[in-house]
Amino acid sequence: MTLQILLAISAALFALGLAAVLSRSNAVMILIGIELMLGAANLNFIAFWRFSDNPADLTGILFAIFSIAVAAAEAAVGLAIIILAHRNLRSVEADDASQLKG
Amino acid sequence: MMCDPLQSLFDDPVKFLAPWFVLVPALVLLASAAAAAVMRNLIHAALCLTLSFIALGIVFIALGAEFVGLVQLLVSVGAVAMVIVFAILLTRPDQLEQSRTALAGLRPAGGAAAAFALLATLLGFIFASPLAGKPLPAAAAAPVAKIGEALMGDHVVALIVTGVLLTAALVGAAVLAMEDRP
Repeated sequence: MTLQILLAISAALFALGLAAVLSRSNAVMILIGIELMLGAANLNFIAFWRFSDNPADLTGILFAIFSIAVAAAEAAVGLAIIILAHRNLRSVEADDASQLKG
Repeated sequence: MMCDPLQSLFDDPVKFLAPWFVLVPALVLLASAAAAAVMRNLIHAALCLTLSFIALGIVFIALGAEFVGLVQLLVSVGAVAMVIVFAILLTRPDQLEQSRTALAGLRPAGGAAAAFALLATLLGFIFASPLAGKPLPAAAAAPVAKIGEALMGDHVVALIVTGVLLTAALVGAAVLAMEDRP
């Protein structure tokens, strides 16, 4: 078990999230991809904390806790926007939201 | 005989099996994340995302960050995944995505190519880094009492700002999703 393995797992998870964001047109799927990428970032924080020379600092732990809180806020706002778009456009496809006026 | 895997398994089973406590949930994590990224059915994708959140929490716990793992399970599985499922139910999208623009047919191939290019770049840097071959340090513990002291001590400003952010985000989400009718 080395740091490389954890970083490679995290990179693979981030790439999967990016693939979901770029290749799907449904707004809910784009949010799912963003959640996967946030999880990959948190995995990196925890991995670097676990392998750090001074784990008693808790830097990676605290970063991960704040990152999870911000991810929860992001999910709430993103899904409210999706519900609003569905009410106005009758669609959750990202391609349909092509105008700046509501 | 010290190098015999079976012998080390009997000598110290926890130490011998320790990497697998991380690797097995990590493989579940990658498999369910891949399934979430490619599923056509939105509900199936959301359930795969939930499974990957659970696996991620188990990876955190196996790495010694028990508190973050439990927070991950509570927040991601209990809140984020549920909110995504509710959004799918409320919006009732037509299950299959349709191409609406001229270039939409290229989107899956383009997304996969971009993600693969990023993955290759990241893996190149990860395996070239001198830092990455570092062996696992003995033990790293994050006691909840120490995390609480750090949050309420050095990082109290960040904690309060996060609280304000969460409040503002949830009030904003409620206002956005509210019906206009009086």
